[in-house]
Amino acid sequence: MAAKGRIVWVSGPAVKADGMADAKMYETVSVGDAKLIGEVIRLTGDVAFIQVYESTSGLKPGEPVVGTGNPLSVLLGPGIIGQIYDGIQRPLKDLSKVSGSFIGRGITTTPVDMKKKYKFTPSAKVGDTVEPGNIIGKVQETDLIDHSIMIPPDHPGGKITNIVKEGEYDLETELAITEKDGNKIPVKMYHRWPVRKPRPYQKRYDPTIPLLTGQRVIDTFFPLAKGGTGSIPGAFGTGKTVTLHQIAKWADSQVVVYIGCGERGNEMTEVLVEFPHLKDPRTGKPLMDRTVLVANTSNMPVAAREASIYTGVTIAEYYRDMGKDVVLVADSTSRWAEALREMSGRLEEMPAEEGYPSYLASRLAEFYERAGRVKAQGSPDRNGSVSLVGAVSPSGGDFTEPVTTHTMRFIKTFWALDAKLAYSRHYPSINWMNSYSGYLTDIAKWWSENVSDEWLSLRGEAYGILQREDTLKEIVRLLGPEALPDEEKLILEVARMIKIGILQQNSFDDVDTYCSPEKQFKLLKLLVQFYKNGQQALRDGTTLVDIRAMPIIGALLKARMEVKDNELAKLDQLGQTMIEQFKSVRGVTVTT
Amino acid sequence: MSKHGGVQYSKIAEIKGPLVIVDDVENAAFDELVEIQTKDGEKRLGKVLEVGNGKAIVQVFEGTTGLSVSGTKAKFVGKVMEMPVSEEVLGRVFDGLGRPKDGLPDPIADKFLDINGEPMNPEQREYPRDFIQTGVSVIDGMLTLVRGQKLPIFSGSGMSHNILAAQIARQAAVVGTSDEFAVVFAAIGVQYSEAEYFRRSLEESGALKRSVLFLNLADDPAIERIITPRVALTVAEYLAYDLGMHVLVILTDMTNYAEALREISAAREEVPGRKGYPGYLYTDLSTIYERAGRLRGKKGSVTQMPILSMPSDDITHPIPDLTGYITEGQIVLGRDLFRQGVYPPVNILMSLSRIMKDGIGEGRTRADHQEISNQNYDAYSRAQEVRALAGIVGKAGLTGVDLKYLGFGDEFEKNFLSQAIDENRTIEETLSLLWKAVSLLPKNELTKVKDKYIEQHYKER
Amino acid sequence: MTLDSKLETTIDKILTQTTTELLTTLEKTFDECKESLSKSSRSLEQEYDRILDEGKKESEKLEKQIIGSSELEARNKQLLLTAESVDKVFEKAIEKIQNIKKNENYPKLISTLIDESTKALGTQEIIVLTNSKDKDVVKSVISKFPKAELSSETITCIGGVEVRSKDGTMTFNNTIDSRLERLKPLIRKDIATKFGIGE
Repeated sequence: MAAKGRIVWVSGPAVKADGMADAKMYETVSVGDAKLIGEVIRLTGDVAFIQVYESTSGLKPGEPVVGTGNPLSVLLGPGIIGQIYDGIQRPLKDLSKVSGSFIGRGITTTPVDMKKKYKFTPSAKVGDTVEPGNIIGKVQETDLIDHSIMIPPDHPGGKITNIVKEGEYDLETELAITEKDGNKIPVKMYHRWPVRKPRPYQKRYDPTIPLLTGQRVIDTFFPLAKGGTGSIPGAFGTGKTVTLHQIAKWADSQVVVYIGCGERGNEMTEVLVEFPHLKDPRTGKPLMDRTVLVANTSNMPVAAREASIYTGVTIAEYYRDMGKDVVLVADSTSRWAEALREMSGRLEEMPAEEGYPSYLASRLAEFYERAGRVKAQGSPDRNGSVSLVGAVSPSGGDFTEPVTTHTMRFIKTFWALDAKLAYSRHYPSINWMNSYSGYLTDIAKWWSENVSDEWLSLRGEAYGILQREDTLKEIVRLLGPEALPDEEKLILEVARMIKIGILQQNSFDDVDTYCSPEKQFKLLKLLVQFYKNGQQALRDGTTLVDIRAMPIIGALLKARMEVKDNELAKLDQLGQTMIEQFKSVRGVTVTT
Repeated sequence: MSKHGGVQYSKIAEIKGPLVIVDDVENAAFDELVEIQTKDGEKRLGKVLEVGNGKAIVQVFEGTTGLSVSGTKAKFVGKVMEMPVSEEVLGRVFDGLGRPKDGLPDPIADKFLDINGEPMNPEQREYPRDFIQTGVSVIDGMLTLVRGQKLPIFSGSGMSHNILAAQIARQAAVVGTSDEFAVVFAAIGVQYSEAEYFRRSLEESGALKRSVLFLNLADDPAIERIITPRVALTVAEYLAYDLGMHVLVILTDMTNYAEALREISAAREEVPGRKGYPGYLYTDLSTIYERAGRLRGKKGSVTQMPILSMPSDDITHPIPDLTGYITEGQIVLGRDLFRQGVYPPVNILMSLSRIMKDGIGEGRTRADHQEISNQNYDAYSRAQEVRALAGIVGKAGLTGVDLKYLGFGDEFEKNFLSQAIDENRTIEETLSLLWKAVSLLPKNELTKVKDKYIEQHYKER
Repeated sequence: MTLDSKLETTIDKILTQTTTELLTTLEKTFDECKESLSKSSRSLEQEYDRILDEGKKESEKLEKQIIGSSELEARNKQLLLTAESVDKVFEKAIEKIQNIKKNENYPKLISTLIDESTKALGTQEIIVLTNSKDKDVVKSVISKFPKAELSSETITCIGGVEVRSKDGTMTFNNTIDSRLERLKPLIRKDIATKFGIGE
């Protein structure tokens, strides 16, 4: 029995309705004459407290509230990729057909085109016994995505009594019928899943494969693993969004879910405009063919912002269950936390730090816990991953505020953006002293096997130089650079070169925007070699002035922009030239 | 909204701060416009903030001074607040609630628009790409403004933000087009003299006839400030999307807006966020700033330039902080430069234009624009470091290259940054000044520009 | 060679040298003069251009300002005229309404107005107020509303009713005046377009 009640109170996105004794927690309801979409978030007696996902302007007491009987769910099936959804999976394109350039209210749509036909190739046959998660066939969703049709996780399983032949079918077609205990249940191309409930899997693995992003400061210095969690906090203007866009563009995953949660509208537009024209460096296909956007911009209703994170992560888990690597980027979890705070305030809950509700930490933990590299349910065996990257927008750039501090407890890679670096146009402005990665040793094996076994030690040496520079800088600040001996000045010089030549990366430069692991490794090696040769040269009596005057320096610093990924031999040549130039500034001994 | 608007209620339960709480209300909607009538028949406007259980909380824009519990009546009008719009709003002056202030009649409305607007569908936005030449070198060269962008000026009390904004309003043009453009100016709690400076500046440039002014001055009701930017933007949207004009909206001073919001929040006894500002300040500000943009299939655009004075010049204060998270960059004025008499005193290192990259380059400004701008940022930042160092160890302790950077810093501030109030530089002039400045540095210091551009433009000095 | 001849050669040499030197100096000076002349003429020209340019700018500015202001002034006069004529039309219309012999439809209208008011107020317990002229009409229809009573007070209006709840907390103004007032902005546009003004 669906609950039928009446509005008794309205304040912004919060509505109270009485006569709602039949309503369930987290049930979606239709609110008012305009049939706005809402969700029950508290029940007291027969009064339901509802957060409304659309603007409540004009809503008045006395209007009806009707339950739907279902929790907030997303539709999972082919057609999701390439879409831009609002926080509750309404396709924004379809909304615009109804309400034009601005977002109207009370519009119902289906998340994907139910009439669209896909070519279904069955892989199961009549008589097969299936369990939840079993793949019964595939459709080609986009050029990049082969979409497995799975027995839904909440399906009881059973024996296939009927399955369609290979052919073109739409989403509503009953592709197969299963039977268990005399009950016949159809399987279609899609099913629904409640967003607040993590999708099940068989088991979890430790993340040991790096998620390559083509960004040197990330891959080389503070890597993320597939199935891992990372957070990127930064004051405004530190380039958070650009870094997130870079991850979404270049990460070596099969699916990207990008959630614009309480952020700028133009940023979503930028993705929409840019991604169809950008080619995946591995497949050469448009990036949009693997991307889903969930956009709930800052001026869109605040409650839907809260839901958008769950909508996004449920979609990510769905593709993970097909055995794909999925990256989910959430910009920004702080705005999501603010939505929680606003609803909590309207519920008149006792606030904890800075007005945030006391359950902020547990909600964040629940969210990040949905990351992981897993063995999916059902057969055939397949592994997939969801990697979660959450932006944090600390007020005033203060990392001690609640959202940042709680997030740090639940993530393993921390990319601390630094306003000072951004002010000096060092982008990405990831501060190498405050950032960390908990996956470094886990993924070192991958680098040894795939790129070079020197990787971890070279990275350590380069990082060591940066650390020493950090301490030396203090002395320079007090006494000036001339107070240092040449050996230490060399450290400053090489640290500067690492900063310009490796850590900085111009995302708007065609070549520099993506850097392959091999190129990253070679650049790293070149600069470490430079340092070693420099040290030797100084020991042999060369002065730092001579080293600084070496023409190779400029070339080393520009190599990231001037050498393309398919011409890495040029970097080896640069190495040769460097050694020759060292030879000419001093005697004979050369370190390679 | 309500079919039965227009009922007047006379049971006032409470008056506190800017709020009037009306009892026994049967028929009121959230956000509904309310006409408050005082004992003496004076009318004030307000809107419903919360309604239910027989009570309505009404926020009174013109303040509650002089209201009494007995004798005050509240009429629920049956619609949200609307602004009448038509082409004839151009050249007009309105008060902070959108009522004529120039002695002329109400505009004959083509439409009545909800002042809250509706959120733009991100899928329907057109990405901003048209370079606006402001004629101010530091903006055109380093912080390029693009049509449909929201680029605020972060200033401090007494600095030259209004002069800069007025100069931009006078000079702004998209090179090579004859599209119509308009200026919407909203004064939010500013002094008469500042608003008048602006008006005169528009008049002198002949731009008044394509401008609309909304004035809530320092001595006007504070709560009215909640409405002022919204009526201004409603008109701007009409001019842009219905009439196809390119509209530059200047909102000054958003700090006064946020303070009005805080006042209401305090009266509602809400749990405060940082510095007493409500937790929803971010969301609320976004409903103003996000109204900038362009729409697919529509000719016009709304470009916003909000101005805010940072309390104690503190950029981490919630108002500039949350603004910066929403806007597409910020132009930060520096107290030091201002004291040295530099105009415009823009601290470029703290400033940023996020969508500059999309408005410049080949076919828009020039192919080398991005890189030469990056190089100047880089060099200026280095120059600042060297200046700090020179302050400790003296010039004698500096290396030869460091000294060149010092020279660069001075050249940059003196010849590129500084500009006369009526000096309108072309983008070519601006770019050549940028090259001139870095030409003081040795060639191998230019790590941010490609060799081919160095060959074209670098002339060692 | 004799000493004399030697001397002579030297003198000659010196002389030629001096002449050459003199000549070069002269030439140089001449060149310099020429250059400085051309320079000064150039800077003069520049100065002249600058003055001219500034004057032009200033006059352009003035022109813009004058044209802008006069255009605006003309437009504003038109706005005032439009408003005036719209007001006149309104006055006439109201006069007409006032003078219309209230036909048999009028009681129906009053009855509808009262009915609307009870709905808006959400109660039947009402007091109805009207002007002295319409009292009889109201009296004739009020029996349809058993819980309603007619107030002895009168109000000034063209027609219609004002309805209050009996507890006095709610009022609904449903006079023809208030309805006109609500419609005024819409009517204004209609009138303006009809008369081709304000276009």
